[in-house]
Amino acid sequence: MKKFFSLLILLALAAALTAGCGGDKKPEPQRNAGRVFTFGDTTFNAENEEPDVNPHNAYAGWACIRYGIGETLFRYNDKMEQEPWLAEGFELVDDLTWKIRLRDDVAFSNGRKMDAQAVKECLEQLIKVHRRARGNLNLAAMEADGQILTLKTSEPEPSLLNYLGNPYGCIIDVQAGITPDGIVAGTGPYVAKKVIPSQRVELEPNEKYWGGKPQMEKIFVQTISNGDTLVAALQSGQIDAAYGIPYASYPLFQSDKYKFTGTATSRVFFGQVNFASPIMQDKAVRRAIALGVDKGAFVKTLLWGYGEVATGPFPDNFTFGGKNLRTEGFDPEKAKAELEAAGWKDTDGDGIREKNGRKLRVRWLTYPSRQELPLLAEAAQSDLKKLGIDLIVNNTADHNGVVKDPKAWDIYVSAFVTCGTGDPLNFFSTVCLDSSTKNRGGYHSDRVEALAQEMKGTFDRQKRGELAVQIQQELLDDAAFCFFSFLKMSMINKAEVQGLKAHTSDYYEITKDLSFK
Amino acid sequence: MGRWLPERLLRLALVLFSISFLSFGLMRLAGSDVVEQKMENRGEAVSAEAAEEARASLGLDQPFLVQYSVWLKRAAGGDLGRSYVSGQPVAEAFWQRLPNTLRLAFMSVLLTAVLSLPLGILSAVRQNGPVDYAVRVLSFVGNSLPNFVVALLLLYILSLRLGWLPVISDGTGWESAVMPGLTLAIAMGAKYIRQVRTAVLEELSQPYVAGALSRGIPFARLLWGGVLRSAGGTLLTMLALSLGDLLGGAAVVETIFMYGGVGSMAAEAIRMRDYPVVQAYVMMMGGIYALLNLLADLGCRWLDPRIGRGDM
Repeated sequence: MKKFFSLLILLALAAALTAGCGGDKKPEPQRNAGRVFTFGDTTFNAENEEPDVNPHNAYAGWACIRYGIGETLFRYNDKMEQEPWLAEGFELVDDLTWKIRLRDDVAFSNGRKMDAQAVKECLEQLIKVHRRARGNLNLAAMEADGQILTLKTSEPEPSLLNYLGNPYGCIIDVQAGITPDGIVAGTGPYVAKKVIPSQRVELEPNEKYWGGKPQMEKIFVQTISNGDTLVAALQSGQIDAAYGIPYASYPLFQSDKYKFTGTATSRVFFGQVNFASPIMQDKAVRRAIALGVDKGAFVKTLLWGYGEVATGPFPDNFTFGGKNLRTEGFDPEKAKAELEAAGWKDTDGDGIREKNGRKLRVRWLTYPSRQELPLLAEAAQSDLKKLGIDLIVNNTADHNGVVKDPKAWDIYVSAFVTCGTGDPLNFFSTVCLDSSTKNRGGYHSDRVEALAQEMKGTFDRQKRGELAVQIQQELLDDAAFCFFSFLKMSMINKAEVQGLKAHTSDYYEITKDLSFK
Repeated sequence: MGRWLPERLLRLALVLFSISFLSFGLMRLAGSDVVEQKMENRGEAVSAEAAEEARASLGLDQPFLVQYSVWLKRAAGGDLGRSYVSGQPVAEAFWQRLPNTLRLAFMSVLLTAVLSLPLGILSAVRQNGPVDYAVRVLSFVGNSLPNFVVALLLLYILSLRLGWLPVISDGTGWESAVMPGLTLAIAMGAKYIRQVRTAVLEELSQPYVAGALSRGIPFARLLWGGVLRSAGGTLLTMLALSLGDLLGGAAVVETIFMYGGVGSMAAEAIRMRDYPVVQAYVMMMGGIYALLNLLADLGCRWLDPRIGRGDM
């Protein structure tokens, strides 16, 4: 037995020894020590394609812009329209040439002045290494002259300014280089001092910031991927604010000690109808789903009010958003009447309608990685049951595999950012056209094809908005897609935190105005 | 011993080869790939050409056997590749996290032993008495609670109510391993209380115990000097196997406590279809597990020289 206990003691010693070999010794976030702010975030991780804060790397531009490290030439306002930011203005010389006038008072965090040459170098590097940016921007040539940058595109690109506001468009000093851990010299109010992928970003004020003095002495952005842990961290006071708290935990923070900030984003939870499925070719069934799901109750009850009912693919506050559309709200009686008229009747009294001996059974394909989607599936299942529709939910991580088989599903419900660059064409060309890569249900409309083609060549912003509204109306009239709700981007912070405000674009989080009371 | 050790090592090599092939195949059967997983995480559109280009750059457009043979050749040369997700060399990522996992594993086994040994022995010695029933009920409750429930309860009590430990640990010190270690130890300890009890009861029913007692040897001396010594081999095998399980990581517990061990790394790699990381994990864990079994066998021989005399 002595031998056995000596083994246990050996085990204890081994455990003690490993305490010293933890590799990179990380400092504990310092809470409430002076003006130190700790932000718990679920999104900063390599799985989300944000391995660091270098905007030229995958989707790391999101971290760069969200955490106040980088800024773009143009930014989005609350209506997702472009406003100058590092630029002062622009001129469209001809369909292929844009002249952009840059601010004269901006310096990078390393002290170098931001002039047209520096921006040109940055954009040259961007299109060299970033495939998505290269495809969007279509840049053929660039010229720098003092604070004037001239961009020439290889084909007419009406959305160029939208794309320049994308997080990958954060302007960095490429001469300063990029450190092995992905730290860049940007123009934002804060400078990244340390980046540990999928764990933490440590920020300090940019003393040379052109827009005023940043208020915090130090900021820790802490990745906390588990929702319950995030909740406990905010409750315990270990973090000062959180992004990504699960909806069900919101009531825990409804007190004077906390503040909520939220706004609808263009991340929509929507369904694509499978036109290869015989049952979905019946318009009455498609309309019954659109009319029969109580989106308002879903948002109010299951999302605790932290969502927004969707009419179309874009939120109401967008200039071309849902408020411009003609649509019908939740109307189960009308849905029932239309099903009856189409011949769907419950003849055997089991609560499910039939037609020509076939049960009204709809296969709803979705996936669990977005917490809202399984909840939506359950709500729809309950609502549609009352109409006599048997909804079979397939909530699977392998949805990408299942969706490829048109015989395996009837409606595919997913989350999609419809307007990340403020340009509506992106959604249509990705999801609704014959050439779309995500037109999973095989939807086709001659009119939508024609309108989208017209939009591609239209520079006038107002006209583009009108075309976007017409296309959306076509989609709704065809009952080809069901738009259920928008994600309301929400952050919860301690009451003493000021200047943290959710933005429609989901981009701008940490700004120079962030402070404690 | 002359032939026994080389035979075990040869078996180990065969096992590793087999599990590498199996895991490689199973990952492909799981559907989807890292390119699709990344697209899903972003919720933004990527053109079909871009997705195909990304697949080709990772070699995912090649037939299964070609992919496997390329991987095997590199792995045999010591190159485990780079993570499809982070781009970090896989071996580097693994070794960075291993100390955390080792600390958690040792801590959990230690706490398990501290919990289960005294309670198991007490339960056996007081068989069918109130103490025995109380310990068995505790063991039943501990066994029934899933790890994530225990983890959240500990988080609530030790961090939120009492404020003794931080919610987010830095993953390098002792305090960061206490709550995850305790979470794992509660479930494992509950299971082992019963096994310790059974092992001790079995020894107590041996004729030599009755003989020793009839000769007037005090029970305490008999228990410590004879019974527990004889049961030691069983207990050691049990703890060694647990250590093997724990070195494989405890993904749920690691995720809840933000503890950067290999378990959460593997779980995330499986979700993302990050094949090089999954392969490296499977190989290394297979090796570690087999090695621990080997050490447990050697340890049992050391504790009880009667074992394995035949093949020495």
